[in-house]
Amino acid sequence: MEAMVTRPAVTCCRRVTFSGPTSSRLVLSNTATTLPSGTRQKSTAARTRGALNIPPHDSFLNPNSSAADRKARPTTGQIIYNPPSSAASVFHTPFIFLPKEDPRRRANLGSELFAASTTIHYPSNNKNTTTTTNTNQPQSQTTTTTTSTNPNQPSAAAAATDFPSIEGEPRYRARHHLTKADIEEMRRLRASDPVGNSVQALSARFRCSKLFVMMCCQAPPEHRDRVQAELDAAKARWGPRRAAARGERRARMGMLFNGEL
Amino acid sequence: MKRLRIDRWTGQLLLARSGASPASTPRAAALRSAALSRCTAVRSQSTGTVRQIPKEDDYYDGTDHTRFPPLEQLPPKATSLPSPPPERALQSAKLAALHARLSLPERLPLQTLARALVDASADENPQFNNTNLAFVGQSLINYHVAEWIMCRYPRLPMGILYAAMKGYAGPTSLHHVARSWGVEHAAVPGGEVDPGLLQFSMHKPGDAIIGFGYRRAEADGMKKHKWRHGMSSRVVFDDDFGEVVDSEEAKDELQLRADTEYGNEYTRSLAEKAFATCARAVTGAIYAHAGRDRAKAFIKSHVLSRTLDLSRLFAFKKPTRELSMLCAREDFEPPVARLLSETGRLSRTPVYVVGIFSGKDKLGEAAGASLEHARTKAAMNALKSWYLYSPGEGVRVPSDVLAEDAAPWEPAYIDMGEIIGH
Repeated sequence: MEAMVTRPAVTCCRRVTFSGPTSSRLVLSNTATTLPSGTRQKSTAARTRGALNIPPHDSFLNPNSSAADRKARPTTGQIIYNPPSSAASVFHTPFIFLPKEDPRRRANLGSELFAASTTIHYPSNNKNTTTTTNTNQPQSQTTTTTTSTNPNQPSAAAAATDFPSIEGEPRYRARHHLTKADIEEMRRLRASDPVGNSVQALSARFRCSKLFVMMCCQAPPEHRDRVQAELDAAKARWGPRRAAARGERRARMGMLFNGEL
Repeated sequence: MKRLRIDRWTGQLLLARSGASPASTPRAAALRSAALSRCTAVRSQSTGTVRQIPKEDDYYDGTDHTRFPPLEQLPPKATSLPSPPPERALQSAKLAALHARLSLPERLPLQTLARALVDASADENPQFNNTNLAFVGQSLINYHVAEWIMCRYPRLPMGILYAAMKGYAGPTSLHHVARSWGVEHAAVPGGEVDPGLLQFSMHKPGDAIIGFGYRRAEADGMKKHKWRHGMSSRVVFDDDFGEVVDSEEAKDELQLRADTEYGNEYTRSLAEKAFATCARAVTGAIYAHAGRDRAKAFIKSHVLSRTLDLSRLFAFKKPTRELSMLCAREDFEPPVARLLSETGRLSRTPVYVVGIFSGKDKLGEAAGASLEHARTKAAMNALKSWYLYSPGEGVRVPSDVLAEDAAPWEPAYIDMGEIIGH
């Protein structure tokens, strides 16, 4: 009962510290009327424990239960998807990496052997989308489509699209729509005004990727020298900490590529 | 410090040294009187003055020969030979022990095993050193290792294949193999040492050719200016491990210090080479005396049974690009990196678990301290699992067909090649 009384007082005090002087006077007078003994701090162990009693992470909750029930941990023998503490071994070949004549692929063992480790199964409502993409990749998709429509699959299996992509969609897919005249025009524009017709501007104008622009045309040498001089001047302004941090970051990336991290 | 009680020592301890030591030989005595060092005394051969040696009675090294007779009667002129004569092999306990320890076939005589222990730097005569045995052994080991790697991991890029070859059959690995057999080496080679000891010189490398490969005309420039040499030219010119065949560079300073120090970089490299040559020569001797199947079984149990983590051999430059090129080549859906889970995004040590998906199939997964690291690592893992595809543990190799009642050969899986030439 005491805890229920003191909780608004604590929030009021927090509001005092963050709000301006005029409102604080109001709040303080308000607390003084409800609590004559003054503001109580979180000083006892019971209150500390109560404050730390936070609800479990969403992945531990039963998504099908009601909102009131979500506070409770699941009591059934339900499988919770949590990623393993270590990545799968690289010696376990993913199913689509198996060659066509491999006995594991021929025996269609994708559902049994590879279900747990590498292949993620769609829930059954995604069946339509898989069958539409099925037309141009005959072999590899057919096997997995059959497994995804398998009624024995657990309904809680996570779909690949459930996870957020960390790389944005590419702005321009390769459509091969530019002609030789377009490329000549792109080169002319880039050579005439390299500042105004930057790589990004040309990419937006011709609706192609920046990589393609850089493959097609090259800035005039004086522009490249100027950009390089600006870059060098910016680098010269770096202090020792920033330079060291950049060097370390580069070294760490090199170690990553060598498999040392 | 305890006093050494020489009177309690057995005669064997006292006399093994006197039999093996060059100091007890008459020629050494003569040369000692001429104030020359012992080492050179043993190793200078067949000069005219040495032949006319005073009788053995002239030199007395303090040993009572009637009370402590020599363990082994050396044949005449044994000390003047650069390596032990073959007939002494039958008396060597070390050699018999090595033969038994390796479970070598009965048909392999001790004399051949003794010859496998004589390096070309100890005895230059190719009829008495192990050069030709080692050449056969090297070819056999490299053949069996190469066919096994090719059938077991058919998608390995050429550079990784070379590294794996070197990891299994390279000089360092074979050096460790020979050491694990319990082969010991003599301090200085000579005709009077035990034939069960590996004999090589710490002063000169020897001129045995036990491998294939051409000496490149531009080898000096490659070493000096670090010229690039691609994989195709390595296949043509270089040795079985894709390394440039190089003439022995003059390490004069290290060579001079080899006597005074306990051992240096140069002597260690010579020892490693001699031990590796010995392991190859034993394999060649098994092939010569006991045949193809015994040699293959020997290689399988001593070389291919070693553990080598192939996934540690990889290094990438642009793994994400390589993976998307792979997916484009194999008609997979383009790879997408997805965040599987994360913790501590706002903390000092965040962990992100990123998986790379092609359509609904997960190709690789990795954890990293930043999104970029985790994504790169996941792409590297996906590429590794592509390259490290294996048809299975007990995959057949072409030489299995040579056995007596072998099933007919079915073609092995051959990959179309690596994605980006490294």
